[in-house]
Amino acid sequence: MNTPIEDGNNNLRYAEYVLGVLDADTRAEVAHEVLVSGEAATAVALWQRRLMPLTDTIGEVTPAPYVWARIHDALQLDAPARVAPRKGLWDNLQLWHWLGIGASAVAVALLVVVSLPRPTTTPTVVNAGYMASTIQQDNGSTGWTATMDLQHARMVVVPATPVAFEQGRAPELWLIPAGGKPISVGMIARDKPTTLALDPALLAQLGPTAALAVSVEPIGGSPTGQPTGAVIAKGAIGAAPDAGGKVAMIGDRQTDRNRV
Amino acid sequence: MSVSSPAERDELNQLLQQTGRNDQKAFAELYKRTSSKLFGVCLRMLRDRGEAEEVLQETYTTVWRRAGSFDASRASAVTWLVTLSRNKAIDRLRQHREELLDDPSRLDETVDEQPTPAAGAETSQEYQRLQHCLDELEPQQQSSVREAFFTGATYNELATRCKVPLGTMKSWIRRSLMQLRTCLDQ
Repeated sequence: MNTPIEDGNNNLRYAEYVLGVLDADTRAEVAHEVLVSGEAATAVALWQRRLMPLTDTIGEVTPAPYVWARIHDALQLDAPARVAPRKGLWDNLQLWHWLGIGASAVAVALLVVVSLPRPTTTPTVVNAGYMASTIQQDNGSTGWTATMDLQHARMVVVPATPVAFEQGRAPELWLIPAGGKPISVGMIARDKPTTLALDPALLAQLGPTAALAVSVEPIGGSPTGQPTGAVIAKGAIGAAPDAGGKVAMIGDRQTDRNRV
Repeated sequence: MSVSSPAERDELNQLLQQTGRNDQKAFAELYKRTSSKLFGVCLRMLRDRGEAEEVLQETYTTVWRRAGSFDASRASAVTWLVTLSRNKAIDRLRQHREELLDDPSRLDETVDEQPTPAAGAETSQEYQRLQHCLDELEPQQQSSVREAFFTGATYNELATRCKVPLGTMKSWIRRSLMQLRTCLDQ
């Protein structure tokens, strides 16, 4: 092994890199060194071996099945997307696959999935707890689709057609209760799915009378807590207990609009 | 996923090597057997399910592209995978650094957290050795090393959290790292 003098600051830097205490710039420097220097790579690998066993103490948490579906889509793998047994609508990988593709007919796809009779459970039980919304741009094309899982208090927003934003601007999603002020749900990505946690105050407002809207805001979100930029897309929310009917309504509306 | 058995470790190494040869089935199997561990790591560091999911996705798309560079003589598959997910999580934390510093509640919940082995999970021999060496450090220094490892915080952030000068934090951590190396390499 190295003598204390040979250690110098270099070995410490590799240790600090693996521990994770370096700032972004120094991290990038060391990461580059690892790529170009065999010595650096070996030193870093040794530190990884020394410290990584600490992760043994971290409890395992099974990720939601749609994470694999997204990986599968991002890499365009051709093996079957399913790695876990099918459970409910939320865990339906085929649905996530469709959502990922972002066809403008997502509402129709949802309708099909939601209304398909299930051999093992009654549809009403399976469907309870989910809501969906097609967030359309003014030109009628779908900007995003949102699926809300009430039981797990989360929403996944999937872009259909990526919308262009000027630099320094990003989309922010709002929930607008009937006759109420917009409530920020969170910043969403323009080109990939975003998962948002729904706090109780938001959950309480979700329903067929509320709507979702997307406005153009600074990257960090609206500074005022209310939309400050143009509203570029809006969508009605389909309710949970009779999800089939409500989603169908969204689907119909979209069809009407397309006809116009 | 228990990786305490050498057979399990060999299987994972093999799955990662097969992934490096574009074997999609091996990749799916590798995901099935390692994603819960990696997701636990991401959640622990990022403390946000949506962000952890995104980092997990980034991690495995990188695994697929870079598995060919995995060298089993240098690290086990698990070490390689955990390192990759931690690096992605730390990169993400650095991007959000200002926001995190501005949110004291988020810092408070991570301070002084003593991680314990996951309930019912068996820790590896390597962990037991590391634990033994950590126990030889001063309590404050041991908790700084753990805090750093589990939260991916910078020296500055750690110093703020523990309310000590930056220089003190640096010397605690550096001394601890050198002491750990001496102890582990014996």
